[in-house]
Amino acid sequence: MTQIELRGVQKFFGAVQVIKDLNLKIADNEFIVLLGQSGCGKTTTLRAVAGLETIDEGDILIDGKPVQHLKAADRDIAMVFQSFSLYPHMSVYENIAFPLRATRKSKSEIDSEVRSVARTLQISDLLGKKPSALSGGDMQRVAIGRALVRRPKAMLMDEPIGALDAKLREEMRAEIKRLHIKQGSTTIYVTHDQIEAMSLADRIVIMHEGVLQQVGTPDEVYSRPANLFVAQFVGSPVMNVADAAVTEKASSASVTVGDAAAGFEFPNALLSKLNGHAGGQLALGIRPEGVLIRRDAADGFLPVETQIVEPLGSFDIVDLKVGSKMLRARTKSGFVSGPGEKVFARIDPTQAHFFDKASGKSLEVRL
Amino acid sequence: MAAVRTSSEVAFNRVAIVAVLVVTIIFLAPIYWIASTAFKPRNLATTIPPTVVFQPEISPFVKLFTKRSQLRTPPTPEEYAAAPWWERVVFDGGEKIVRDGKGEVQWSGYPNRFMNSLIIAITSTVLAVGMGTFTAYGFSRFKVKGEADLLFFILSTRMLPPVVVAIPMFLMYRAVGLNDSHIGLIILYTAFNLSFSVWLMKGFMDEIPKEYEEAALVDGYTRMEAFFKIVLPEAATGIAATAVFCFITAWNEYAFALIMTNRRAQTAPPFIPSQVGSGLPDWTVIAAGTFLFLLPVAIFTFLLRNHLLRGMSFGAIRK
Repeated sequence: MTQIELRGVQKFFGAVQVIKDLNLKIADNEFIVLLGQSGCGKTTTLRAVAGLETIDEGDILIDGKPVQHLKAADRDIAMVFQSFSLYPHMSVYENIAFPLRATRKSKSEIDSEVRSVARTLQISDLLGKKPSALSGGDMQRVAIGRALVRRPKAMLMDEPIGALDAKLREEMRAEIKRLHIKQGSTTIYVTHDQIEAMSLADRIVIMHEGVLQQVGTPDEVYSRPANLFVAQFVGSPVMNVADAAVTEKASSASVTVGDAAAGFEFPNALLSKLNGHAGGQLALGIRPEGVLIRRDAADGFLPVETQIVEPLGSFDIVDLKVGSKMLRARTKSGFVSGPGEKVFARIDPTQAHFFDKASGKSLEVRL
Repeated sequence: MAAVRTSSEVAFNRVAIVAVLVVTIIFLAPIYWIASTAFKPRNLATTIPPTVVFQPEISPFVKLFTKRSQLRTPPTPEEYAAAPWWERVVFDGGEKIVRDGKGEVQWSGYPNRFMNSLIIAITSTVLAVGMGTFTAYGFSRFKVKGEADLLFFILSTRMLPPVVVAIPMFLMYRAVGLNDSHIGLIILYTAFNLSFSVWLMKGFMDEIPKEYEEAALVDGYTRMEAFFKIVLPEAATGIAATAVFCFITAWNEYAFALIMTNRRAQTAPPFIPSQVGSGLPDWTVIAAGTFLFLLPVAIFTFLLRNHLLRGMSFGAIRK
């Protein structure tokens, strides 16, 4: 049972504040992913929990006890580094045994635990090798083994598969998930890769410039982004965001994107839900799969011209010209033959997001 | 695909090989000269032209280690027959080994000086490299206020010829009773080498990723334990390279050893040339002393050669 809590954590590097009033509760056995661009403070947060970085204000609690004054060695936490950080002068066996030797366990206990972890990670045949003789994936398995062997209260992972190639990354991602399900330890995982975050996390914590932007399940942060940053950071291809104006029509609302001549049709309820934001300072966000296109004209569909088609195998991403703006739509593979084709598009109101342009915050409009 | 070399490139390569050979011979010639003289009979040491082919002898080394006097009368056949082989080679040179009242062989000053050199050079190297490693680790891993200024200050201690401070050092050492003492020279050589050691080791420390120690800290070790278990083994190459340089400096130092010591703590460098002046110079003995004096540095460097080469290409020198 390990819960981790960050309360009002602040961290400065000289005059630069890298963590701004961070509050976060992590439940027992939860897999939390800190997601953000480089320099957003996610790694500093992780290092602060590990005890490798001091904090200037606030509390870090593990199982309710403040640990910010404890040394890393006294926090009973294990960490996997992006650079693997396997001790080059030690064999794989010695690397995995190293944390156990700090606990002064007997030789036979250490031996059986090292071998058991090696079996779990399928690296038993590598125990005699030096890290320099290992492949990237095996190095990472050993690094994870070294973290697991002590059965720590919590596992911290700092972009542990960031240095691997794409195929291996996918394999290791699945392995990390499998291990988490099997071992079930509270885990904080740092990455800038949103696919990694979405596939691994129980909850994702999105950070930007030291400020926590949103905490939620992968589905929550994808379907209900709290602000423009989250909306555009999570999801690939990126969400379309454009200035929008909403006007009332006979029995519906019309949402005009940028300087387009005509607006997309939305249910009338939008006006009341926008609660006065319709007059301007409004941004519309729509994911490419929320832009629906068809070849023939239909009610509510506006004529648009295709610009660029990106075939991505299982689907295509098509850029549509709406006024001077581009909207990206996701279509079936080969649906659009190429640029310059006339098609008809509409926006799925149930997938539309509206944001206050000034603050960037979501207006929480659900249609 | 095999590279095609033009005839001018081939010619240049041959010239380069010849040039390297010539330079190698120029560098090795004095060492050969010393080594060959150390095994020559005394009468062949100074012949013109130099004698290259000769029957090697061990007598210069016997003479080097023993106190001798000129024979007024040759030894009797019984005395000669009773003498051990190493004493006979001295008789053959017209000298005899001095013995005390109990008949014990009197040693020359060389073994003591050699031991002094070993004690002083090894101790000062251990101290300079040890302190240099700790200091370099501190500078490399922690934010030190005025780090650049401090490092410059450390380096600045080597900016004047050491011998400039010899007279004031001598006076100070005499005042505190450190002259002609092992500890005096050890302190002096450690101080000389420390700045060099700090700078060299800092380069090596900077090369060791700090994630290794961080991993050890998270694995349950203190910083000191992480330093000894992780950083030191990783810094072995740098330590070896620095130790070789410090050892050579301390081992070969002449000026301070000459000024600060005279008997008790005198090292080999000032002792060897002092033998030239006592009676007719026996160059073979001086060459034997010099040859033996070269050996520890050669052996030390040979043992650490792999580290040294790696150190040259990966350490501070690369920067």
